Amino acid sequence: MMDRSKLRARDVVSTSVVGLRSRRGRTALTALGIAIGIASMVAVVGISSSSKAALIAQLDSLGTNLLRVEASSTGISIEPLPIEAEPMIRRVENVDAAAAVISTEFEVRRNDRDTNVVGINAMAASPELFETLRVDTTAGRPLDDGLRALPVVVLGDVAAIRLGITDLEGGPVIDVGGQDFVVVGILDELPLNPDISRKVLIGDQAAIELLGVEPNPTAIYVRVDPDLINETRPLLAPTAHPGRPAKVDVSRPSDLLEARAEVDQNLQNLLLALGGVALLVGGVGIANVMVISVLERRGEIGLRRALGATRGHIRSQFVLEAALLSGLGGVLGILLGSGITIGYARRQGWVVDLPPLALASGLGAALVIGMLAGFYPAAKAARLDPALAVSGGSN
Amino acid sequence: MTRASDTAVLELEGVHRTYPGSPPVNALVGVDLRIEAGEMVAVVGPSGSGKSTLLNIMGTLDRPTEGRLLIEGTDTSKLSDRRLSGLRSARLGFVFQSFHLIETLSALDNVAAGLLYRGTSGRQRREMAQIALEKVGLGDRLHARPTKLSGGQRQRVAIARAIVAEPSLILADEPTGNLDTATGDGIVDLLKQLNADGSTIVVITHDADLAAQLPRQIEVRDGAVRQRAVDQ
Ligand SMILES: Nc1ncnc2c1ncn2[C@@H]1O[C@H](COP(=O)(O)OP(=O)(O)OP(=O)(O)O)[C@@H](O)[C@H]1O
Ligand SMILES: [Mg+2]
Repeated sequence: MMDRSKLRARDVVSTSVVGLRSRRGRTALTALGIAIGIASMVAVVGISSSSKAALIAQLDSLGTNLLRVEASSTGISIEPLPIEAEPMIRRVENVDAAAAVISTEFEVRRNDRDTNVVGINAMAASPELFETLRVDTTAGRPLDDGLRALPVVVLGDVAAIRLGITDLEGGPVIDVGGQDFVVVGILDELPLNPDISRKVLIGDQAAIELLGVEPNPTAIYVRVDPDLINETRPLLAPTAHPGRPAKVDVSRPSDLLEARAEVDQNLQNLLLALGGVALLVGGVGIANVMVISVLERRGEIGLRRALGATRGHIRSQFVLEAALLSGLGGVLGILLGSGITIGYARRQGWVVDLPPLALASGLGAALVIGMLAGFYPAAKAARLDPALAVSGGSN
Repeated sequence: MTRASDTAVLELEGVHRTYPGSPPVNALVGVDLRIEAGEMVAVVGPSGSGKSTLLNIMGTLDRPTEGRLLIEGTDTSKLSDRRLSGLRSARLGFVFQSFHLIETLSALDNVAAGLLYRGTSGRQRREMAQIALEKVGLGDRLHARPTKLSGGQRQRVAIARAIVAEPSLILADEPTGNLDTATGDGIVDLLKQLNADGSTIVVITHDADLAAQLPRQIEVRDGAVRQRAVDQ
C-alpha cells in the first residue's frame, strides 16, 4: 500500500499561521515578551555602536595626530623642559606645528571681585598654540605675535564660565598676580585638551616680562603628519631634552578619549546580559503559552491526525508556531530597538549606527529561542493519543 | 479501481482492546468483523459497551492490544505511524459527534483541510471542497465561518470534509448526538444518500429507530459484537 501523508511546505506555514491568527490577543502578548528582550538588546548594541561611531567621528575631526610633550612628573620636583625644546621640535621632520606652554602658580580673579577663582590658573602660551590645537574662539580672538607681550588674556571655555565672563561686552579685566589683564578672547571647547579649557592664557613674553615666569616650557603641543605618527613620536623626547630623554613624557591626548569608549564595554555587556534574560523569560513565556495551546487544542490535534497528519506534521506545526511567534516578537523588537536607538542618537546629535549583524542576530536569537521553546510542547502534541484527542476536545 | 471481490473494505480478526489501569478495562474482547464495500452499517449498544473503541480501532486512531485490522487487505498492525497516517489520509473519512471544525476557517477551508495531508495543491483542494459542500447541500455557504452555521450545517461541513478525499470507508461516531431529532434525521438521510452513491459507511448511534432503518446492525455488548438480523 503506497498511501503517504504529505504536507506541502507552504501548507506547513499556513497551518501554523492559522493557529496563531485564531488567538490574536495571546499571540500579540506572547510576542511582546520576546520583543522586549530583542528591543533592549538591539538598543544596547545600537546605542553603544552609535556612540562609538560618534566618538570616532569626533576623533577624526579633532585629529589623532596631536602629541603632548612634557617633563615627567615622576620625581619630587618637576624639572621643566629646556627653552630650546620648542624650536628644536619644530625642526623635526613631519612635525607640522609645535607650541610651548608654561604652567604658572598664579590663580586669577576678576578685578571687580575680591576672591580668587579656585583652580583657574594662568598659563603662558606661545601664539602658535591655537593653530597647533586647532581651536577657535567663541568671542574675540586668540593671542598672536602682536599681543604676545601685552597684558591681555584669552580664556579657556571652562575658565570663562568659572569667571562668569561669557562675552567681551564692556571689556572685562581680570587680575593675574596683582596686575590687570584685559580679556581679548574666549576659546571654544577643547575635547582633547580639557586641561587647557580651565586655563587663562597669557602671551609667553608677557608672562616672562610682567609676571617673572621662568621661560622653560612645562609642555609642548605637537601636531605631526597623521600618517607618520608612530615614526615621529619616538624622536620627540630626545629632541626636547637631548641630555635626558627619559625625563620627558610623550602622550597622545586622543588616547584618553578612545579609552573612554572601551570602558563602556563592561556596561554594554551587563545590559546585553539583561536583555538576554528578558529574551529567556520571553522564551519561557512562549513555552508556557504553547503548552496551554496544546492542551486546549487536543480536539484539533486529534482531527488533524484523523485527516492523516503524521506525528512529524503535528510536531512541525507547533514548533513552527512557536518560531513564528518569537520571530514576530523578534521583528517587533528590532523595530522597537531601532526606534529607541534612532531617537536616542538623534537627541545626542550622533550619527545612527545600527550594525546589520546585530539586527540579524537579534532575529536569529528570537527564532532559536522560539524553536527551543516550541520543542517540548510540540513533542507533547505529537505524542497525543489520537483516539483520546478526538474524543476529549470539543469543536 | 478494481479489487479482488473477496477483499473486504475492512476486516477485524480476534481484536481485543484492554485499557491499562487497576483494574484494566477490557473494552473489546475478541471482535471479528467484516465490512464489504458499499455497505452501510449501524453500530449500537449501551453506553460504555465499546462502540467508540471499536470505531477508533477501525479508523487506526487506536491499535488493538491483540488481533489484526485489515483495511482493503492490508494488515495495519505492522505499519509505522507515517504509513498509518497516510492510510487515514487516503482511505478513511471521519465524522465526530462534536464536529471538530476549525473556527477561524471558512466552511470551504475546513473541508479543504480534508485534503491537506494528501499533498494536494491549494487550488485543487478548494475546487474539490466546493464540490463536496455542494453534495451536502451547502453550496451557498462556502465562505461562512462555523460559528455562523447551525448544528446541522456544521455536521454537513464535517461530512463534506470526510468525503472530500473520496475515502474507501467513512466512520461516524454518533454524528447526530449533538443534534435535535429533525436535524439528525436530515444528517442520516444525507449519509444514506452518500451510501446510495457508493460510499461505505459505519455509523455509531444510540438511536434505535435510526439503526432500524439501516440494512445491517452490529450490536456491541461488554466489548463483544453480536450481529443482528436485518429487521424488515
Ligand atoms: N482511554 C481510555 N482509558 C481507559 N478506559 C477507557 C478509555 N476509553 C474508553 N474506556 C473504557 O472502555 C469502555 C468502552 O468505552 P467506549 O468509549 O468505547 O464506549 P462507548 O460504547 O462508545 O460508550 P458511549 O456510548 O457512552 O460513547 C468503557 O468502560 C470506558 O470507560
Ligand atoms: Mg462512544
